[in-house]
Amino acid sequence: MIQEPRVGVFICHCGHNIAAKVDVKQVADYAKTLPNVIVSHHYVFMCSTVGQELIREEIKKHNLNRVVVAACSPSMHEPTFRTAIESAGLNKYLLEMANIREHCSWAHSDKEAATEKAKDLVRMAVAKASLLEPLEEEEFPVSPTVLVLGGGVAGMRAAIDLAEWGFNVYLVEKNPTLGGRAALTGWLTNNRRGADVVNNLINKIVDNKNIHVFTNAELVEFSGFPGNFKAKIKVNPRFVNEKCILCGECEIECPIEVSNEYQYGLSRRKAIFFPFKAAYPPIYVIDQRVCIKCGECVKACQYGAINLAEQSLTLDLNVGAIVIATGYDPYHPPKGEYAYGLHNNIITLFQLERLLDEDGPTQGKLIIGGAVPKRIAFILCVGSRNTTPSSKNYCSRMCCTSTLINAIKIKEKYPDIDVYVLYQDINTYGNDETLYEQAGEKLVKFIKFEKPPTVDISPEGIVIDVYETTIQEEISIPVDALVLSVGMVPRRDQNELIATTRASCGEDGFIREVHLKLNPVEAPTHGIFLAGAVTGPKNIIESIRAGSAAASKVATLLSEGKVRTEPFTANVNEERCSGCRICVGLCPYKAISLREINDRMVAYVERALCMGCGTCSAACPSGAMQQYGFKDIQIMAQVVAATGGGIK
Amino acid sequence: MSKPVLVIGGGISGIQATIDLAKHGVEVYLVERNPSIGGKMAQLDKTFPTLDCASCILTPKMAEVLRYNNIKLLTYSEVQEVKGNVGDFTVKILRKPRYVDWDKCTGCGTCTERCPVKVPDEYNVKLGQRKAIYIEYPQAVPRKALIDYSHCLRLNPPPDLKEKAKGKPLCGACEKVCPTKAIDYNQQPEIIELNVAAIILATGLELYDASNIPEYGYGKYQNVYTNLEFERIVSSTGPTNGNIIRRSDGKPPKRIAWIQCVGSRDVRFNHYCSAFCCMAATKQAILAKELLPEVDTTIYYMDMRAFGKGFYEFYKRAMTEFGVKYVRGKVVKITERQDNKNLLLFYEDTIHSYMKKDEFDMVVLSVAVRPNRITAAPVKTDKGGFIQIMDPYMDTVTSTTEGIFVIGGAAEARDIPDSVTMASSAAIKASTIAKKCVVEQTIITSGERA
Amino acid sequence: MSTNNYEPRIVVFACNWCSYAAIDLAGTSRKLYPPNVRVIRVMCSGRVDPQFVLEAFKNGADGVIVAGCRPPSDCHYINGNIKALRRFTLFKRLLEELGIEKERFRLEWISAAEADKWVRVVNEMLEELRRLGPLKAEAVSV
Repeated sequence: MIQEPRVGVFICHCGHNIAAKVDVKQVADYAKTLPNVIVSHHYVFMCSTVGQELIREEIKKHNLNRVVVAACSPSMHEPTFRTAIESAGLNKYLLEMANIREHCSWAHSDKEAATEKAKDLVRMAVAKASLLEPLEEEEFPVSPTVLVLGGGVAGMRAAIDLAEWGFNVYLVEKNPTLGGRAALTGWLTNNRRGADVVNNLINKIVDNKNIHVFTNAELVEFSGFPGNFKAKIKVNPRFVNEKCILCGECEIECPIEVSNEYQYGLSRRKAIFFPFKAAYPPIYVIDQRVCIKCGECVKACQYGAINLAEQSLTLDLNVGAIVIATGYDPYHPPKGEYAYGLHNNIITLFQLERLLDEDGPTQGKLIIGGAVPKRIAFILCVGSRNTTPSSKNYCSRMCCTSTLINAIKIKEKYPDIDVYVLYQDINTYGNDETLYEQAGEKLVKFIKFEKPPTVDISPEGIVIDVYETTIQEEISIPVDALVLSVGMVPRRDQNELIATTRASCGEDGFIREVHLKLNPVEAPTHGIFLAGAVTGPKNIIESIRAGSAAASKVATLLSEGKVRTEPFTANVNEERCSGCRICVGLCPYKAISLREINDRMVAYVERALCMGCGTCSAACPSGAMQQYGFKDIQIMAQVVAATGGGIK
Repeated sequence: MSKPVLVIGGGISGIQATIDLAKHGVEVYLVERNPSIGGKMAQLDKTFPTLDCASCILTPKMAEVLRYNNIKLLTYSEVQEVKGNVGDFTVKILRKPRYVDWDKCTGCGTCTERCPVKVPDEYNVKLGQRKAIYIEYPQAVPRKALIDYSHCLRLNPPPDLKEKAKGKPLCGACEKVCPTKAIDYNQQPEIIELNVAAIILATGLELYDASNIPEYGYGKYQNVYTNLEFERIVSSTGPTNGNIIRRSDGKPPKRIAWIQCVGSRDVRFNHYCSAFCCMAATKQAILAKELLPEVDTTIYYMDMRAFGKGFYEFYKRAMTEFGVKYVRGKVVKITERQDNKNLLLFYEDTIHSYMKKDEFDMVVLSVAVRPNRITAAPVKTDKGGFIQIMDPYMDTVTSTTEGIFVIGGAAEARDIPDSVTMASSAAIKASTIAKKCVVEQTIITSGERA
Repeated sequence: MSTNNYEPRIVVFACNWCSYAAIDLAGTSRKLYPPNVRVIRVMCSGRVDPQFVLEAFKNGADGVIVAGCRPPSDCHYINGNIKALRRFTLFKRLLEELGIEKERFRLEWISAAEADKWVRVVNEMLEELRRLGPLKAEAVSV
């Protein structure tokens, strides 16, 4: 039975944030005139310890049983005030917030109108609060298992940290090997390559029994709720098994040759191939997109490691959480952008990294178009910062440092090569500034542009024309090779990921985190975590850190061994329910079924599966299905109050 | 039970690491040398590039620290000694006397009203005043009063007054008015010893001393401010209640200039880039435009380092939507006009390639940050004084000592998202170590409550 | 009420995850818009019962907006927005039969990042409502 409502209204100034545009005293006085309101107060910071104490004291003093806080958005401080009223002995769902900051004081310039609106918002909140009921959450055990999607540095690091903490980890990688793009990133410092970092992580994964690696595999279905997700993984056939000893005989016999994506197209590979030196698992793989199943490889293999009849298999996993670490794609310049695709000596930064890497197609020699260039130039911000029509709006963060590392490496190996870097701003933030200093010391020539340079192909070679701002002159730089320092873009297959996992993307196209500043590795959907460049450009160190951070957030969710349900679930009034089944078909989580009660079939809601969308409630013809916290009468009361219908 | 973890430093990095650890089910000590946690972020008005109000997103996290039973908060305390190895560190912590019994203090503030002594207020970077008994700032956690020994008439009377009093105790105003009898002039420093499995260093950053840079006249010219000073001035909780006014005449400025890379990217002072100042200045210029729509704002920069998520978009928005001007070039020198205390900036515009002079009535220096010095922990530091990470590619948050992690500004100049990412990153590693170290009894000291 | 100082009143049902967040973002980014809107938060646009909309008109709303996540995949509850789309496509036809101009009701998809779109939708609808004038009383005596 609902008690007679006794509502307390607490209005926050938020310093000047609210008080400058809303007459808080007037609103507080007005609140006192509303039905069921016993007290109303205004205070400079309701969220402060003192503000919260005021609420607690007033609850006790006036025996309040409902609380309205008019302050910021509920997404900001609803948890704070729920905890506050709970500590005063009230059920925490007996709170309603009126958003008079984001929806009012920050959005409107006229003080009088904003004050009137604030009054309305308080009236609506009081109307709903008067009808609120105490709600209970239920607890469910969680699966101590985590799905990590993506076997690049961020995903591998997340998997290792989770496994070392004690979780069971499924590491699922779409490609036939772990390592991701970092494995192909050449020099990171003077004496360390991306491959070294990847090897270190792979060794840790091999040693850890809690990590189950699936390469050539993808997530195809994902459902459930935090702590108990169901994931369907499709493992595509590799056609080669563990008997493979990497002898390479199969590769020699294979008649199909295609461009090698693991060298960014700088070399060719066969349909049966081994991606790169440190690839894991250490087994050859057949690219089923190009294989003609001629059987030459099977004949060549002395170890019986190849089975062309291998089928894909699916795994059904029950996991407590998912870490999405699917990475990025390099920006691919359209043909003709800075003459890309018009001359063989115009390459991307990603390709240059392969050339300078000792595991690359030239064993680390800078051979472009058959010779070592005498003059080489880098153009920065290719695909980033709106420099060309097809560029993205954002800065890609890592290209400046990568460019300088490689420019320095070239100068170290070939001191006689002239190296030019054409740039707008050099973004060597933090301690990476030393790279800028080193490049200067090694006589890398920096050329500042405001208007993007133009690149012409003449019989003599590549010529860059640019307006140099320091000398205020148009200059021409003939070069033997040109490197386009391309940025990072969201993966081409990201839409599939969004459709499967219900993650969402922001304006820049990268996956969105719940809060840019303070929750950089959590997705808006609880139980989904994000690591690495999937949320936006990052360098390798930052991606690894994000992997660990995501692991930490998973542990905060699963370490207790249980999670609590949504409070705002649907609930059936069995006497009213006619068993019409409309809700059964509507529920996106298959949480509703019919069951027999007193010889009648009525709807039944499985609370653990209900995520609280309320669509069943909206469609129920008899009003039997109601969503806790958003019942018809509660929303109707807000509607009436919003339209002024509630004022006498 | 697992052995506790120690987090040193209660800024946003330390707070985030502490909360993660607590949620991992590990016992945590959070030690902060100031009376309240919050760190530098608590002094900021808004944050870039979202323009979220800093305290709006920070205060809930600060309050959360007090909500967990497995967090023991020790503010106004300093770590004096760290000995031992991973899994078994022995730590000595000095709890400085507050001269107020924090179990009794309710933070009502009556004492601060009555206290007769005014002292420059550190929270407002000395632009405002506080009392000798004070609460650090309105949203302080814990919100408790303490006495600043060096300025208290009772505890540390000036010699002349002491002589006059002839042995009788002076003042005592706070003791008289305290409704809960919380004042305790006899409180003594206390040393506590803890055994912890792992340590996270989150000791953060401080501003480089801008008066070391001769050409900008900071400390000499009244209307030259540091970026942190400006942050307090635009803040509604600051010394001017959010009114931007000049130190010299209390009038709102018509033209404000920001100078970037003051003390950073400068071989004379600090080689490194302070990483967040380009965006912080952009944000401050937007805030100035919001408060004073007619104000003219110009940012003098070397490279616009708008590298993080949403940063470049924010920079463009400042330019197009708010009309913030950007001039690429280093300001060579500032001089002050005697008559109106305006400032003349001499600079080279490197996009148009000419030397120029321009007049402003307020200048904000985007001063370099540098790490707070920590001497107690056995870790190596780099040239800039930042705590060295053993191998940033292999163990991205581990210091030169196994089991001691370093996060946030203590390791490198970093913005908030990078700092909290490092914090969570260190938390999972520290709790993994802690879980392996089983002890019978853990928390022996009670920490601070709300 | 004379039409000179006629200030239309718009009731908005916004889903918690996208549209409500976009309206928050409009405030956080100080994107100003007229104060004629009153927002009611629901978890999903699929929760909005057409009856709520009728109730709003009955009580004096001049316009109603139901705002949800962008189809197809933004919905936090898989496809609640699609359910709203089905329901309100049908509902719009019904409105006209009741004598309520169809311009008085809008179903809008506003993602959490689209503060600008929110501001645009409010301005557009206000303009439309000013043109239409107050809702005739007989239309809503249902």
